[in-house]
Amino acid sequence: MKKSFVILLIALMVVSMFSGCAPKEQDVVKIAVAAPLTGDFAEYGTGFKNAVELMVEQWNTDKGGVLDKKVEVVVYDDKNNGEEAATIAEKIVGDAAIAGVVGHFASGVCMAASPTYQEAGIVEISPSASHPDYSSEGDYIFRNNTVINVEAREAIDIAVNALNAKNIGILSVKTDWGTSTASIVKEIANEYEGVSVVEHQEIIDGTVDFSPVVTAFNKAKPDVVIVVGMYNVLAPFATQYKAINSDINFVGFSNAYSQELINLGKEFVEGVYLPAIFFHGSTNENIKGFVEAYEAKYGSAPSSLTAQAYDSAGIILSAIENIESTDRAAIKDELYKISYPGVTGETTFNENGDAQKTFAWLKVENGAFVEVDK
Amino acid sequence: MLFQQIFDGLTLGMVYALIAVGYSLVFGILRLVNFSHGSVYAFGAHIALVVAVSMQWGIFPALVISIIFTGLLGIMIDKISLKPLREKKSKPIAALITTIGVSYIIQNLLMIIFGSHSKWFPKIFDYGIIKLGDISINSTQLFIFLVSLLLLVFLTIIIQKTKIGLAMRAVEQNPKAAHLMGINVNYIISFTFFLGGASAAIAGTLISGYYQVVYPNMGFIAGLKAFSAAVLGGIGVLYGSVIGGLVVGLSESFAVSYFGGGYRDAVAFVILILVLIIRPKGIFGKKEITKV
Amino acid sequence: MKNRLMENVNNFIMLMEKKKSVKFSVYGAVFLVMLIIPKIGLPMFMVRIMTMIGMYVILSMSLNLITGYTGQVSIGHAGFCAIGAYTSALISLNFGTNFFITALLGAVVAGIFGLLLGLPTLRLSGTYLTIATLGFGEVIRMVILNWESLTNGPLGITKIPRPVFFGIELTSLNGGLYYLVWILVIITTVVIYRIIRSKMGRALMAIREDELVSKLMGIKTVNLKIYAFIISAFFAGLAGSYYAHMIRYIDPNTFTFDTSIMIISIVIFGGMGTIKGMFLGSALLISFPEVLRFLQEYRFVVFGLILVLMIRFRPQGILGGQSRRDYKMPKGVNLEKIMKEG
Repeated sequence: MKKSFVILLIALMVVSMFSGCAPKEQDVVKIAVAAPLTGDFAEYGTGFKNAVELMVEQWNTDKGGVLDKKVEVVVYDDKNNGEEAATIAEKIVGDAAIAGVVGHFASGVCMAASPTYQEAGIVEISPSASHPDYSSEGDYIFRNNTVINVEAREAIDIAVNALNAKNIGILSVKTDWGTSTASIVKEIANEYEGVSVVEHQEIIDGTVDFSPVVTAFNKAKPDVVIVVGMYNVLAPFATQYKAINSDINFVGFSNAYSQELINLGKEFVEGVYLPAIFFHGSTNENIKGFVEAYEAKYGSAPSSLTAQAYDSAGIILSAIENIESTDRAAIKDELYKISYPGVTGETTFNENGDAQKTFAWLKVENGAFVEVDK
Repeated sequence: MLFQQIFDGLTLGMVYALIAVGYSLVFGILRLVNFSHGSVYAFGAHIALVVAVSMQWGIFPALVISIIFTGLLGIMIDKISLKPLREKKSKPIAALITTIGVSYIIQNLLMIIFGSHSKWFPKIFDYGIIKLGDISINSTQLFIFLVSLLLLVFLTIIIQKTKIGLAMRAVEQNPKAAHLMGINVNYIISFTFFLGGASAAIAGTLISGYYQVVYPNMGFIAGLKAFSAAVLGGIGVLYGSVIGGLVVGLSESFAVSYFGGGYRDAVAFVILILVLIIRPKGIFGKKEITKV
Repeated sequence: MKNRLMENVNNFIMLMEKKKSVKFSVYGAVFLVMLIIPKIGLPMFMVRIMTMIGMYVILSMSLNLITGYTGQVSIGHAGFCAIGAYTSALISLNFGTNFFITALLGAVVAGIFGLLLGLPTLRLSGTYLTIATLGFGEVIRMVILNWESLTNGPLGITKIPRPVFFGIELTSLNGGLYYLVWILVIITTVVIYRIIRSKMGRALMAIREDELVSKLMGIKTVNLKIYAFIISAFFAGLAGSYYAHMIRYIDPNTFTFDTSIMIISIVIFGGMGTIKGMFLGSALLISFPEVLRFLQEYRFVVFGLILVLMIRFRPQGILGGQSRRDYKMPKGVNLEKIMKEG
């Protein structure tokens, strides 16, 4: 009884695994999205998926697809897990109709998958990877994310010029992004005259209790704390810090740019500054159109990373249109030449595959983000 | 500074103690490490979130409704997944894996229903900050302190002074003999799971009201640390959980100050291992005799 | 009709158990199929899944030695894996040593940690030991995260070289990684099989059944448990090293509590104290998330459900439970003859 049960199970599995490999249709162009749709980071992955689906839908309705073929999105959930990402990567490169990949969320997960993409020669654009070594994994590996050095300088500029800070505190999450950003912020801050970093505290991702950290900052008395973390670090940290010292100011990073920041921090994130490459209240027609379409379709405002995913898909599709081919190597070559006017600004890739962006300064005022003059 | 660190640590400790009590209750009766407790705690917080934020009924109805639902969830977990295992007399590891499976289910369902993002929760008992010289004490911190103590006293009274508590202790010592004495063992275990769930709901609501953040995975690390606290104090001993929680909370607060935040999560586990090596039954644990 | 089919299957399995020739031809067929898998044009991801299954066979086999055979439940096995992976990756990056040497070193270092964990935790039994292993796994992760000068902290280790075998780089495209892992599986299986069929194996099982009694019977329970821990950690470290050189990037989030849970689930799912069960358990549980992909976000709800249901209806695992092996009479004793003569 039990053995036959087992055999039945295995047979079922084999059948369902093969059923995944449907006959290849060459009359569509596929864009793959690989992102966490389950697990702790599902919110970001869902944003990626929504953004790419929206972009593809717009191409299909406005232009009738690309190269007269319909564009299709294939979505893979990697649970933000390297092991799964590597398997997914094999799946993606095995599907000849897939022209490019938008995705993988965390740098570590991207880097578990990128050797496969590089080996097989398919373009991967991560909207979020920030690991310094990520884009040098190979010439097929791109990121449409801010470059840490540039963004760190903007953050310090805000602290020094907009908030007149002399003593800076840094709070960073202990992830590849947080740690490398914090060390660059420290380095750059030393170049400014009369500015010093008085305290640096690190936290593990997922911390909600900031009391020991706040106590340490409160002793060092910085004028401004630069928070290298997502919205779910910045908001509770600001809440707990402001309860003790209401005069403190915060500067965040573009990764924290999300409506959730205000939903979670309420009055305590008033006056928080961020450098951002995307601003959903912008008067730019292009951006306005995206934000309206996104809100109409999904009922929530797009965040910075979501906008970057949206552009990533757009970049791949434009590259295909420019070269009039879905040849994977040709797409790669085109990406180094392309200059894409997206919702996160004019995007070009340098020889590493890092996107060059310009920043705007945002501030939370009366429960909404507003753009401030530099 | 030092006093502030101590106070931060004590509050954090009370947070762990609140969760640890649930582990301790179930372990005391069943000798089972209930790995689903962390996600049950997250469940309690989300129920409170729905009542307090989405339905705007206020914090006390939220607490009460959350206690009822989460307690029922506790009973359900026992009835559906654990009771059959007891009847089959399967190995303890089977029950342990079951509770892990249950926590997968709860946590992922929470994520699907509520989304994985962090959600705002109203602050409870907010009367501002009390300043004593250099130290700032949050009124919510004091409130958490008091409620935890009350909960503990309440649970201790149930276990020590009531008839059902007597039955619980009897089941703990010898389920078979208790059964022969006419105690409905399954009923008692269900009741214990209800208490465990209810205490998770209280912890979930209070802690969310303190940090003002609710998210589906909130129970994982907090649960593991609370569990360390329970072991440290002597798992199965209620006041031990509180002492254990306080020790873990204090050490964490000091670890952040002296070693940096990166080591924060390691502290609880280092303490856990040390305690297990030096005194496996915990500070207040009773020594078990191996019967041949 | 359906019952007939199952009966036939059952009969065949019984036949396989009894007749050596049938058994070997079945195993031989499986072996041949496994040998040609990367070469028959299967989609690459299926080869990758087969590779991952192989890695988890090693891991579950290693855990099975202490959990299935010795009765010591560990939920911190990812810790050994991480130690093996980091040791091997760091040595090969810093000294350019070949994978086959670094992997061995990784496994040895993991084994030393097995000794370190084994020694103090011998005072513990049952649930308390389980808890200690949980703490161990987490502490290892935290140390890797924070010891930045050695492990590069949260940035992880990048560009780990692929295994090179006599000048040939083993990749997933040339199937090298697949063959490598299954060769490691064979080595692990043979070693573990030899151990459990030896005097030591029987002693370990005695400890599992009743530690006190085995002690009274003169079994050196303390030493044996430590040996079991060391061997187990050794193979977990080996699997970890392999993983590091296969994926080429490791960071503190590579080996988490989830990994440990996956390993113990395989052991329980397949059947504690069986070897075939480890193969079956790995095949099922590693491919489940892929097979369940159509469920989208409900994937891990169903995964949890499977775990719960499995233990609810078959707590001993799929292949666990009664042993089919006949008891071998000492030489010269013919049971049938004795029975006949009464």
